Amino acid sequence: MAYEPQFYPGNTIIAENRRKHMSGNLEKLREISDEDLTLVLGHRAPGSDYPSTHPPLAEMGEPECSIRELVEPTEGAKAGDRVRYVQFADSMYNAPATPYFRAYYAAIKFRGVDPGTLSGRQVVEARERDMEKLAKESLETEISCPALSGLRGATVHGHSLRLQEDGVMFDMLDRRRLENGTIIMDKDQVGRPLDKKVDLGKPMSEEEAAKRTTIYRVDNVAFRDDDEAVEWVHRVWETRTEYGFQPKVYND
Amino acid sequence: MTTDRERKFKKQLEIKFTKEFGDNKQEGGSITDKANKYHRLGVDQDPRKREMKEAGQKIAKERGLVGYNPMMHCGGIPLGQRAITPSFVSGTDIMVEPDDLHYVNNAAMQQMWDDIRRTCVVGLDMAHETLEKRLGIEVTPETINHYLEVLNHALPGGAVVQEYMVETHPALVDDCYVKVFTGDDDLADEIDDQFLIDINKEFPEEQAEQLKESIGKTTWQAAHIPTVVSRTTDGGQTSRWIAMQVGMSFISAYNMCAGEAAVADLSYAAKHAAVVSMGDMLPARRARAPNEPGGLTFGHLSDIVQTSRITPEDPANIALEVVGAGCMLYDQIWLGSYMSGGVGFTQYATAAYTNNILDDNLYYDIDYINDKYDGAANTGTDNKIKPTIDVIKDIGTESTIYGLENYEKYPTALEDHFGGSQRATVMSAAAGAATAIATGHGNAGLSAWYLSMYLHKEAHGRLGFFGYDLQDQCGATNVFSYQSDEGAPVELRGPNYPNYAMNVGHQGGYAAITSAAHAGRGDAFALNPLLKICFADDLLPFDFTQPRKEFGRGAIREFSPAGERSLIIPAK
Repeated sequence: MAYEPQFYPGNTIIAENRRKHMSGNLEKLREISDEDLTLVLGHRAPGSDYPSTHPPLAEMGEPECSIRELVEPTEGAKAGDRVRYVQFADSMYNAPATPYFRAYYAAIKFRGVDPGTLSGRQVVEARERDMEKLAKESLETEISCPALSGLRGATVHGHSLRLQEDGVMFDMLDRRRLENGTIIMDKDQVGRPLDKKVDLGKPMSEEEAAKRTTIYRVDNVAFRDDDEAVEWVHRVWETRTEYGFQPKVYND
Repeated sequence: MTTDRERKFKKQLEIKFTKEFGDNKQEGGSITDKANKYHRLGVDQDPRKREMKEAGQKIAKERGLVGYNPMMHCGGIPLGQRAITPSFVSGTDIMVEPDDLHYVNNAAMQQMWDDIRRTCVVGLDMAHETLEKRLGIEVTPETINHYLEVLNHALPGGAVVQEYMVETHPALVDDCYVKVFTGDDDLADEIDDQFLIDINKEFPEEQAEQLKESIGKTTWQAAHIPTVVSRTTDGGQTSRWIAMQVGMSFISAYNMCAGEAAVADLSYAAKHAAVVSMGDMLPARRARAPNEPGGLTFGHLSDIVQTSRITPEDPANIALEVVGAGCMLYDQIWLGSYMSGGVGFTQYATAAYTNNILDDNLYYDIDYINDKYDGAANTGTDNKIKPTIDVIKDIGTESTIYGLENYEKYPTALEDHFGGSQRATVMSAAAGAATAIATGHGNAGLSAWYLSMYLHKEAHGRLGFFGYDLQDQCGATNVFSYQSDEGAPVELRGPNYPNYAMNVGHQGGYAAITSAAHAGRGDAFALNPLLKICFADDLLPFDFTQPRKEFGRGAIREFSPAGERSLIIPAK
């Protein structure tokens, strides 16, 4: 019988969504063009070549190495792309993703990525074209809601703040806003103005966000109500604690 | 009790988030609202920011070189795109500007650290034995009083045996002095009151007995060098300065020869053999002398804070005062400045001692423990619960889930603790301190701390900054480790404990857990009775019985520090 990864414990919709994010089997909800993606990421001009830090691997005459033979380089590595980043902030008011589940999604589904996880933001670094692949999928699928998730390279605060009156996560730099029922972004990740408004899509309704989110909240699905998830946290804590307590090392 | 706790928590959030402060236009709404109108008023909404802006402009004009200018923030988008709100210092009714809890802006915070760094405890008994046995000089209560009078002249910088000598101006060093304490009640009776820290007077009877039993009939000096000296040099200077003046004072008070070999014996005995520093020297890679914060164990800090002798019946309050002192010293000063040079550490640290959020969580836990475990959170030794995995799991889980749900029910509390690191510290400190109080076991409390971190991470899908991945995911394995390079009783751990060396937002919590275990039992001290007695002294500029109130007084500019230089600088 083929092994089926279980990904995450829990018997609630939140746990189910977490398993979905980790599995990478995500529903596509909107379309972002390559040009728009490049604009909001702000790493290079749309249509320009990828700047590189080294020649293509094929031209480099790499030394003989069994590991190099074993590991197929990513497209970005093959081409010698720079390592660049994409960073998201996700509101604690039922944004679909939470930082750890963005990190797990990136690390499980993509190769050559370096996720960094904090409370208010989650950054993934990778060779530029590899990163763009992840960024595009993140923006287009159920892992993000344009109103509750934000591309933020710097000045990221907002994840824990009350929402704006229009239901959009607060952004100190006002990079994006609700206009005519859709979220537009007219500054890039770090707040540099763009020449055009990029349409990030319609916000999720409150109900939809509550159904798709990966955060436990007492006003949606309380953590204490997911017995299986709590039980597994206890188990991890207990086994780590007992592992450290090893009086037997002195009996041997 | 529950009603009082909730009322205070809500009242402070209401004032902070639904009443106008300065010109921040946030009047109205409820602390449970999930949405808010953002006025984006910038720094001009806030009185302190306005004062700072004006000061920046004045300085630039006077010196011809630009300085503080809030429009340099984010390319012209200043702070204050959301409302700038005041904070209450927990356990008090003092409302403060957030900026005034940065230690640079707060004289009380500076003085707390000054008072610790400039202190050493120095034994007298070995010196007395050397005088009597090696030199044949009789030591009596009268000679001790005379020596103390000489030393109180010499310690601040007065000459005692030289013919011609520069001296320090007494008005610049008036915070420098020495007192003594002893477990020998008969000797204590003979010591001049001005020199004595009277254990029987300063501590509740039961604690006084514990302390006297711990130190026996030994006698110790509590010595504090001038603040201005300590600030100009470093913590390592404290024992050196004390040693020099102690040596000269012995020579003078006991009419000794200044050059004979026997004095070398006395010098070692009096100056070095029984010196207790507040903090240990750090290894070369951190390159700090003794009496710097990195070497100050959690046990020592627990003993320096004096709340345990004032509210022994309220162990939670004792732990909360240690949280305040610890977060300020370890996060704002040690990690924030010594180790990183950062300015923002203040906001990690103040979360644990402002707006009663941690207090509410911990007092909830106290009620929970007393209801479920038959009064185990009351002060005492017979009522403690055995620290089993199940007990730690139960208290740690209940405490953490209460804390999580408070942030979920009160969006304003979540906004106040806008960073996961802040929330993680608060929830873990509550879980850890509560477990320590219930069990009387510091490492059981530490274990609950790590459980709380795990629960928090899984519930919200986020925890703190990158470092939390390191320290809080691996911490559980060292809580009960027997191996000397991994485990240690929490009392002996400190900021330089291997896994804690860069633990921003944690160390005040660990110190609180340490004190909570002993406060829960009604112990007179956590680690070192000498430090507990040394700081039971109201002549110190900083009041160690209530650090949080002192920080509040510093913030509203009512605290008078020591070591000021106005005597020797032009009047402005």
